[in-house]
Amino acid sequence: MTPPAIVARALAEGLGMIAVCDHNSAGNAAAVQEAAGTHLAVLAGMEITTAEECHVIALFPDAEAAQGAGAAVGATLGQADDDYETFFGEQRILAADGSERARETLALATSTTLDVDAAVRLIHSHGGLAIAAHVDRRSFGVIGQLGLFPTAAGFDAVELSRHIAPRSADEARFAVHGLPLVHSSDAHYLSDVGTARTLVHCARPTFDEVALALRGARGRGVGHA
Amino acid sequence: MKLEDIARELGLIELTPEVSAGDEAEIERGYASDLLSDVLAHAPEGGVLVTLQVHLNVIAVASHAELAAVIFAGDRRPDEDMRAKAVAEGIALFVSPADTFDIVGRLYAMGIQGTHA
Repeated sequence: MTPPAIVARALAEGLGMIAVCDHNSAGNAAAVQEAAGTHLAVLAGMEITTAEECHVIALFPDAEAAQGAGAAVGATLGQADDDYETFFGEQRILAADGSERARETLALATSTTLDVDAAVRLIHSHGGLAIAAHVDRRSFGVIGQLGLFPTAAGFDAVELSRHIAPRSADEARFAVHGLPLVHSSDAHYLSDVGTARTLVHCARPTFDEVALALRGARGRGVGHA
Repeated sequence: MKLEDIARELGLIELTPEVSAGDEAEIERGYASDLLSDVLAHAPEGGVLVTLQVHLNVIAVASHAELAAVIFAGDRRPDEDMRAKAVAEGIALFVSPADTFDIVGRLYAMGIQGTHA
């Protein structure tokens, strides 16, 4: 999963935009943006693990905003110990050419101390969009962890995993919260890239256009690829 | 076993005395889980829940599942909003510094059983 490999795979899959959402870190987003150049739109994001062990996807206007939010998230995490990478995998911070720049020393696989409401507030305070991740999954989705969708948290959208087919009865079960539904791959391996996708009706592949599309504003919208 | 007897035996901190004081209902069953969807599906009506979760949804779920009481383990404390909602729903809340395993073990020893007992 190096920046050049991710970009090449996304282009081969015919994607026009991807979001880089490392767990509790925004450390690799700028490198993927640089690797993509003008060939592919890359949003800087993050997948925050809340205190309730809910996953929340954050999409930010740019890499700087993502880094700012990432610093606030990181401040709630503990340090990784010596055995950490043996059990949880290498936490490499890569340059645009795929070479290793540094190792993340925070324990990114653990929960932050932010509850769901605080995570959404943090994302919004950095100009971002907050999406309830893979709500159909039994673990780490807000419904699985919290029993009912936390309507008051202020999410901008609901994400469904690749296991929920577009336009299916399963999908319809999640359309009851008055929020737009997006499908994404939650890619942890290159072969996952493109296994789920969302069609964004917009003028340009940019963060601002995605924000309009999630609000259904100015003729923009999200649908199925 | 009455709620007040359980609270006294386990040394629980009582958050909602207006609910638990004088409550004569007998607690016979319990459930322990931090996945609230699991609580919703499996917790026994009239029972007590032991959980680490302190999200407001605990009360909504406990109300749906018709639980009598919730014990928060590991000294986790709900906020005042949550306490007020619990009072409105008639659900008693307690806090214990003990962990889930110890609380459940002691409840079991007092005769409170799980859903499959």
